[in-house]
This record gives sequence, structure tokens and C-alpha cells, in this order.
Amino acid sequence: MSEPISCHTPTAPPTTDNPFLNGLWKQNPVFVQVLGMCPTLAITNSVRNAIAMGLATTFVLVFSNTLISAVRKLIPNQVRIASYIAIIATSVTIVDYLVKAISIPVYKALGPFIPLIVANCIILERAEAYAAKKPVVKSMLDGFGMGFGFAFALTCLGTVREVLGAGTWLGFPVFGPHFEPWVLFVLPPGGFIALAIWLLTFSSWRSWRMKRKLAEENSQLVRVSEVA
Amino acid sequence: MNESLSHIFLDAFLINNFVLCVFLGMCSFIGLSGKFSTAWRMGLSVMFVITASGILSYYMNQLLIAVHAEYLRIITYIVIIAATVQLTEMFIKKTSPALFRELGVYLPLITTNCAVLYVPLMLTARNYNLVQSTVFSISGSGGYCAAICLLSLVRERIDLSDVTSLAKGTALTLVLAAILSMAFMGFAGMGGGA
Amino acid sequence: MSGPVNTGHTSAAIPMIKVLGIVSLLCGVLIVITQITTLGRIRHNQELLMRESVEQLLPGFQKQIVYGVEPSGDLKVLQGLGVEGHRFFAGYDNSGNFLGVVIETSDRGYADVIQAMYAYSPDSQTITGFQVVDMRETPGLGNRIGSDKDFLDNFKSLDAKHPISAVKHGAKKNPWEIDAISGATVSSRAVGRMLNKSVQAMAPIVAKNLDRIKRGN
Repeated sequence: MSEPISCHTPTAPPTTDNPFLNGLWKQNPVFVQVLGMCPTLAITNSVRNAIAMGLATTFVLVFSNTLISAVRKLIPNQVRIASYIAIIATSVTIVDYLVKAISIPVYKALGPFIPLIVANCIILERAEAYAAKKPVVKSMLDGFGMGFGFAFALTCLGTVREVLGAGTWLGFPVFGPHFEPWVLFVLPPGGFIALAIWLLTFSSWRSWRMKRKLAEENSQLVRVSEVA
Repeated sequence: MNESLSHIFLDAFLINNFVLCVFLGMCSFIGLSGKFSTAWRMGLSVMFVITASGILSYYMNQLLIAVHAEYLRIITYIVIIAATVQLTEMFIKKTSPALFRELGVYLPLITTNCAVLYVPLMLTARNYNLVQSTVFSISGSGGYCAAICLLSLVRERIDLSDVTSLAKGTALTLVLAAILSMAFMGFAGMGGGA
Repeated sequence: MSGPVNTGHTSAAIPMIKVLGIVSLLCGVLIVITQITTLGRIRHNQELLMRESVEQLLPGFQKQIVYGVEPSGDLKVLQGLGVEGHRFFAGYDNSGNFLGVVIETSDRGYADVIQAMYAYSPDSQTITGFQVVDMRETPGLGNRIGSDKDFLDNFKSLDAKHPISAVKHGAKKNPWEIDAISGATVSSRAVGRMLNKSVQAMAPIVAKNLDRIKRGN
């Protein structure tokens, strides 16, 4: 069995009429495209960190998508990637200072993963596949969509890991005081397992929907052929 | 930090393994661990890139500190990494075109490998000197190479087993990685008490 | 996806260099603007965090003076927070009475570096409080050094006249020993080490300048 070995797996053709919803669900960067794995696994041991990382990545996506789309016609092809990386690295530096200015505990919790947003496949992929070709407003919406989709995925993962691994959600205890937390889930193996379960959940849901759609189409074809 | 070299080595290789404990280099870890032959070639390329860019970043960092331009760190490191990957590509193309063809598109993808950017960030944060930086780079990237090779060996075996088609692919790889990660947790505390 | 590719023709290279130059300039300007606008706020946040930590360690705390330690061992009153590692905080209540000093320390724990602060009373030469500032220890095991009540009780009055060390849970006999958390030996030992090395280094300096510190100048 050979898996499609690329930075992302082939996906359904995007719905170009609403880039925001596209990024949020249909082409969700984590659950559908399987990109940006590193922060997804590392930062999600609490919901607070997950949301903070999601928002930081959204900022970087919106900033870089908008700027790259604005200058897309001015950049010659050969220096394309270098310019994109420079713009992305700049927005990451900016978000680094912003997070530090907003909350030092969150900054410490996110640790080296804020600068590592630069290496997040999602941002460069969106820059090349979308922002380089589409107008500014659409690129900005795409940035928001992908960013919020990413934040949503991180929150899903963070919820499972924090509720099971620490018995709290955003710091609020969910179970009573006698709950014995399943500590594994806030440790590295738990991250892998939680993500595997979410991926399985979403892919089985998608395949169930696909089967239902096919069954409907088949029954319609049968009716048409009966009429004819 | 006055850490001994052996401690740095063990820490980066086993205790805080880049892939299984710090979650770096995930995209290539999941995507490229299907076959052992791809995995060890990728591992070695990453080792080379990380070591080279780690040493270069150390010197660049000294320069940035000297001109009080620490805010340029992220951009500088990324530029160094992109340049190193480019050079590695050209080098491999010249010396072994077969290897170049086999690695294909993954070679330039090393630029977005979190593990490569993590190393200079850590060297800066922990204030390592040149020797410590080199040991850290080599052992950390060695840990990545070891992890991806281990996973590819396991996956090659699993390919022969009966797994439901829904679970095949990324989900199964993640579960295997979870088990490997649990195994590596056993190394924690190996450093003892400094 | 690859890095910048050189076509080799100087005429085609010039617009590329121009574009890269403009992009770099734009990026540089944005970064510098961000740094300048956030610098004040970041410093304010750091000072606020420090005050909160000192407050928790010195009950009755109202005012603090940050002393910087020069390489010669002399003290200098700092206006801001100074440089980590070469400073300590002297706390006073609102009548100006000296409460104690708060010193920062750090050492390698189980997973990564543990950063902590502790309150030291030079008159009795004891440590009167301990607080973890930053750690990455194992949740449920090592990270109990920050919250476990029995462990923190060790530091209510820890004798600093003898070398401090952590001993097995339940084996504490002397007032300069720390009862480790069972299952978190490495983290507990790290706490013992960091306190010991810090107190050995700082207690003489504090003692030498004690009159000055008590006066608050």
C-alpha cells in the first residue's frame, strides 16, 4: 500500500465561492489536508494553549495571505518562494512580540512553537496555492477560513486531551474532585492517539456521507431508467 | 547552562527525542515513513541539513547579538535553512542523481521541517557554545533519523497485516507513533540528576 | 518548492534583486515598528508578574527594591528589572520594615529547566518560601513540586546554614533537608540543587550588605 506522499493529501476540489467556509470545513487544514501536524500535536495539551496557537496562526495566515496577494503581480517567478518566506517570517516575528505583550504565561506555554509557525506547511501552501493567484479580499477570507479551521481542529484535540488528561476545560474542572486524570493524554503519546481518533472520526463520517450520496444517486438513476 | 556533552547528546537523542517527544518534523515523519529505504535517506539528508544550519546559525546569532538585532533571528535562521537546503540539493544532484530522483520533492520540503528551525531556536535559548551546539544538532537530528527509520520498519511489517481500509494511512501511523513514543518515555530521567 | 534560483543573466537578476530588496526593507520596517510599540507593554507585564511572585513569597509585601549584583559583589539599586541572574528583590511592608529577600534560581529538572524563586530571611538564615516560575515537568508527577502542599511545607523554614539537599520521601531528619515527592525524585532533587547553589552564592552577599538592604537604599 503506498500512501500519497506529499505535503498534503489530494482533496475534494475547493468551493471557490466561499473561501472562508472552505478553509473552515471542507478543506480543513488538519482533518482533511493533514497539514500543520507539529503544533497540532504539541500545543494541544490544554484548550487555552490550543486556542492561543490557533489565533496566532490565523494572524500569520491573514497577514501573509493579504500581503502576498497584494504584491503577487509585482514579484518575478524566480524569487517567489524567497519573498513569501520573508513575508511569512516577518508576520511570525510580529505575532511573537504581540503574544509576549498580551500574556507572558501564554507566551511561555507556547514556547518555541510560535517561531515554528514559520515552518507550518499550511501557511506556505496557502500562499502558493491561493494567495499567489487570487485577489486580496478572497485571500484574506481564505486566511481567516484556514486559520479558524486550524483553530477549530486544535480546540477539538485540546478538549479531548485536557478533559481526559487533566479533568478540566479551559481550567474549569469538569468532573468532580475524585476524578483521576488519564495523564497519558497530556503526554506525547496521548497527542498521537487523540489525533488518530479525531482523524478516524472525521474520515469515517465523510465516507458515510459519500456512501449515502452515492446510494441516493443510484436510486435516482434507477428511477430514471425505469421511467425511460 | 553548564550541561555536559554526553547529557546534551542523550537528551536530544532519546529523552527529548525531536519527533516522538517534542513533535517536530511530523509532516515528513508521517508522510515518508512508508518504506525503510526512503526513510533512512530522508533521515540522513535531514541530519546533514540540521548540522550544517545549526553551526551556521550559531555564528549568525553571535553576529546578530553583536549588532543588537535579535529581532531578526527568525528571518535569519529561515534564510540560512533555505540556503542550506538549496546547497544540499545541488550537492546531492551532482554526487548522486539516483538519490536525487528518489528523494524527489521531499528535499526542498526539508525547509519547512519544524525540526530544522527548532535547533537554532534552542541553541539561542539555551546559550550553547559551538561544541555544545554541534553535539545538539547531530544528536537531535540523529534522533529524528532513528525515529523515522524505526517507524518505517514497523510500517513495512504492518503493511502485510489485515487492517480495515478506514484505519489505514495516517490514523494507523499515528497510533504506531504513539506506541513508539510511549516506549521512548522509558528513557526519561536517564540523565539522572545532572 | 525551492530557494531563490539564479538565472545567471545579470539583466534578469536586477529586477529580482530590486524586488527582494524592497520586500526585505518592508519586512524590516514592520518588525521594527512592532518591536518599538510592544516593548513598553512587555516590560510592564514582566514587572507585574515579578511583583505578584514576590507578593506571594513575602506576606505583607508592599514595596520592593531590585538590587543588581555587580561582578565585584557590590550592590546597585536598579530602576527596572535588570538582568536575570544578577539581581534579587528586597521586600518591605508599608512602614518600610524589611521583610526578606526574594532570589531567583534555576536548574535542570527531569524534562527541561525549572525556574523558581524563593524567599530568604538573612536574620534567621532560613528559606521561608518557594515558588516555581516555569517548568516543563511531567504533569501529575514532576510538576507537583509547584503545587503539592506537603512538598511546599518543606520551605516554610528551611535551614540555609548547612548544604541543602533533597532526601527520600519520609527520610527527612534535619531542618536543611527537603522531603522529596515520591515518584518525582529527579524534580525534587533539582529543587534541592538549585536552592543550595543559589543560597551558597547569595547569602554571603546579602549578609555583607544587610544594613544597607534593611535601610532600603
